[in-house]
Amino acid sequence: MATQGGVVVSASLLLVLLLGACLPAPAAAGVLLSKLPKALAVTASAKSGQVLHAGVDKLTVTWSLNTSEPAGTDAAYKNVKVNLCYAPASQKDRGWRKSNDDLSKDKACQFKLTQQAYAAAGGNFEYTVARDIPTGSYYVRAYALDASGTQVAYDQTGPDAAFDVAGITGIHGSIKVAAGVFSAFSVAALAFFFVIENRKKNK
Amino acid sequence: MAEEGELKKPAAMEVEGAEAASKPRFRMPVDSDNKATEFWLFSFARPHMSAFHLSWFSFFCCFLSTFAAPPLLPLIRDTLGLTATDIGNAGIASVSGAVFARVAMGTACDLVGPRLASASIILLTTPAVYCSSIITSASSYLLVRFFTGFSLASFVSTQFWMSSMFSPPKVGLANGVAGGWGNLGGGAVQLLMPLVYDAILKIGSTPFTAWRVAFFIPGVLQTCSAIAVLALGQDMPGGNYRKLHKSGDMHRDSFLNVLRHAVTNYRGWILALTYGYCFGVELAVDNIIAQYFYDRFGVKLRTAGFIAASFGMANIVSRPGGGLLSDWLSSRFGMRGRLWGLWVVQTIGGVLCVTLGVVDYSFGASVGVMILFSFFVQAACGLTFGIVPFVSRRSLGLISGMTGGGGNVGAVLTQLIFFHGSKYTTETGIKYMGLMILACTLPITLIYFPQWGGMFVGPRPGATAEEYYNGEWTEEERAKGYNAAVVRFAENSVREGGRSSGSQSKHTVPVEV
Repeated sequence: MATQGGVVVSASLLLVLLLGACLPAPAAAGVLLSKLPKALAVTASAKSGQVLHAGVDKLTVTWSLNTSEPAGTDAAYKNVKVNLCYAPASQKDRGWRKSNDDLSKDKACQFKLTQQAYAAAGGNFEYTVARDIPTGSYYVRAYALDASGTQVAYDQTGPDAAFDVAGITGIHGSIKVAAGVFSAFSVAALAFFFVIENRKKNK
Repeated sequence: MAEEGELKKPAAMEVEGAEAASKPRFRMPVDSDNKATEFWLFSFARPHMSAFHLSWFSFFCCFLSTFAAPPLLPLIRDTLGLTATDIGNAGIASVSGAVFARVAMGTACDLVGPRLASASIILLTTPAVYCSSIITSASSYLLVRFFTGFSLASFVSTQFWMSSMFSPPKVGLANGVAGGWGNLGGGAVQLLMPLVYDAILKIGSTPFTAWRVAFFIPGVLQTCSAIAVLALGQDMPGGNYRKLHKSGDMHRDSFLNVLRHAVTNYRGWILALTYGYCFGVELAVDNIIAQYFYDRFGVKLRTAGFIAASFGMANIVSRPGGGLLSDWLSSRFGMRGRLWGLWVVQTIGGVLCVTLGVVDYSFGASVGVMILFSFFVQAACGLTFGIVPFVSRRSLGLISGMTGGGGNVGAVLTQLIFFHGSKYTTETGIKYMGLMILACTLPITLIYFPQWGGMFVGPRPGATAEEYYNGEWTEEERAKGYNAAVVRFAENSVREGGRSSGSQSKHTVPVEV
């Protein structure tokens, strides 16, 4: 029995080592933010310190080519992608929201608000704050994308000026009631069995 | 088969007609103490195998609840605005509650029996699980994890219950499978909760509501398993504690005596320390490993979760394997074999831990070493509880509780020293954790049983198991027959003396009056 067990263990260990070697390796590097020109001009309707409520309030983002840029800079711009980014106050002690110059590793701008075709005259977008945006401080960043979808220019409203979002808790009245009922039932079940035990004992 | 016990009873006993007729008959072969001498994994035979299934499953559900939050953290931390410090503190809180709860549980088992003790703690902690669905802040998150963690005390009742139901030659295996399959919950939940969350999202919920609803699954499982324990379980082969106390078959012991005999037994303290460096390490790794692979190697969260789950899932065979190894070593070398087995396996675990911290340059090697490491560290847990049932009979519950509690202390200490704040990188922390395992496993060399020996010293000639266990009772207590079970246990443990000590039969010879 020991030898059979030994064979099974060695075989499974070997399999596991092979699997470990086959698991996908990490991805390659991408575009660096510090190298991108700030060729766009972006503004957001929310002022610094204003509180927007998730699912209710709206945010208007307006973008255009930066007037200080020479004509023809935007020849390669095909699309504009607008993201919502965490402000430093919401990134503190939260490594999963860390900014990274390498945009493929950056975790600060996780929420895409819109992606639209680029127009030389500029554009805007009215965004209703989604219900899955967590409570925190944010600013807006817009990228100009070329035909292959790579970022070639950007601008942002922060990180110095940031507005707040008050996220939803996700708690419905029914969840509160259910939690109360199930908890009470569990304790009552225990009490019930204790009473039965005592009755049997005293019989 | 069940009649074997009855037929071999000396004629003198048959005179007490009513008592002999009411002696329980079992579907499984049992020893003179009515403990099963075989372990039929796929049977539900009452009371032995049914106790096994009830205890491992209820403990599994407690692990599900205690570690239900980590896989959903990416959502919880956004909903509540948690910081890394909040998360770290809650992780430590989740395993610290059980430190004292396990010791208390050990005492409760000694006094009221494992059935009531485990069902009580499990049902009393379910409100914390249900209330996890309505938390709104970092402090409420910490509180629910702290109170949910108390349910891990049910580990002690599974070990105590198995030690009451299974004979010494099988106790290592029974303890190992019950403990291992329960620990499995810590791995299974890393796969279960994301699945439940996805299902609830599909039904049409928003993310911040879906994770809340998901907590009801472990909660309901926990409630149902505890009710099953109360309705279908039985403390000992002969019946429940209340019935045995009333009929006088079992003396109702006092808390102070149980406490005194546990704290004065140095072996209990040594095992508590060493268990902190197999089980404690396992818990610490459960809390940090997904994040380690995610951050160090840049893998996707789902991949990191899969790797984390496989660490915990190794328990399905590794811990029972440890128990089986302990029983097998005992059949050849007695208790000395059990002690050597534990020291060797846990030391290899420590070496692999250091290796894991050192091979951080390679993803494949890290995964491979981690899996090997999980097998050894979890087998060491199984081997530990192959020894615990023999340390004390009077205070079995409290010794089990101290050892179990020591495991959680190890988890708290390890996380505090090596995985809190930014003093060490995670890979350095893992390396130092391995070195600490090696150092804290050495005290096993100091454990000595006069009747069976220790790692380096043989048994004292003339010392008997009966003497060792009877030493826990005073003369008057012995005169009143309080230590009745000891005599049966002692002679069922004959095999712990090793091959040279005589009878090797599976079914031991009954008491000679």
